[in-house]
Amino acid sequence: MEDGAKKKPVLVIPCSGIGKVHGLLTREATYLVTDEMAPEQTETMCLALLVKGEPEAVEAVKTQTCITIDGCPKACAEKNVKIAGGNPVVFTVIETIKEHPGAKPGSPTELNDEGWNIAREIASKIAATAARLHCDGEGME
Amino acid sequence: MSEEITKVGIISCSGEAIPEGTIARLAVRRVLESLRPGKTATLCLPLFLAGEEGERNFAITHPTISIDGCPKQCAKWGTEKHSGPVSAALVVSEILGTDAASCSRSSRHASQIDRDAVSSVAEKIAIEVDKVLAHT
Repeated sequence: MEDGAKKKPVLVIPCSGIGKVHGLLTREATYLVTDEMAPEQTETMCLALLVKGEPEAVEAVKTQTCITIDGCPKACAEKNVKIAGGNPVVFTVIETIKEHPGAKPGSPTELNDEGWNIAREIASKIAATAARLHCDGEGME
Repeated sequence: MSEEITKVGIISCSGEAIPEGTIARLAVRRVLESLRPGKTATLCLPLFLAGEEGERNFAITHPTISIDGCPKQCAKWGTEKHSGPVSAALVVSEILGTDAASCSRSSRHASQIDRDAVSSVAEKIAIEVDKVLAHT
């Protein structure tokens, strides 16, 4: 940035649901974004830490742009970020899976090749959104 | 605890920010699928904390073990706040010490070090499951 101001990264927060492959998809899609596709523009945080009410985590979702990724319609990541005072841009795994009728992305423990392709597709959408949000100046220090 | 209790609930923090969260999550899955199938069930922590009654009631009526990645122990905290004391509480960073430093958050980078870490933690969980069931 020319003015030297440092933008805060966009927070990408998955539900990480442990009972279904959808939760693993949220988690791996998040790491694809934060570690590979947009490491300078994004970071993740522990959802459980936020729900516990850790002051730093609560402050982060109030002051940084957030993206949540949920695996099921119960939308735990979205709900918990909103409860903490955040206003997230919302993604759901279900929407992308609908574009792959009959998809079997793996298990709650491990993604197969199809699962990784879906995770990468979700991650690409999120990275594009994060880049736009970051460029728009949201999440600025 | 009732004599009818045959399952132990295991709650992982699954902390996204640290490798220990990934290890906790995978170790719980290992216990469910391989080490103690039929004797364990997992509870989805975000769902639990979001107020899902089914998850909370299970933790009230069954013994529970929390698996946390770090000493902040969010899984233990959430379980005890909403359902009562846990029967055992494990912390991955205490089990593995500095061994976790070279582990990965994403499973796409999993190495033998990651697999060994998951196995080590899973074994600890299985031992705790046996202890809990022996006392019910």
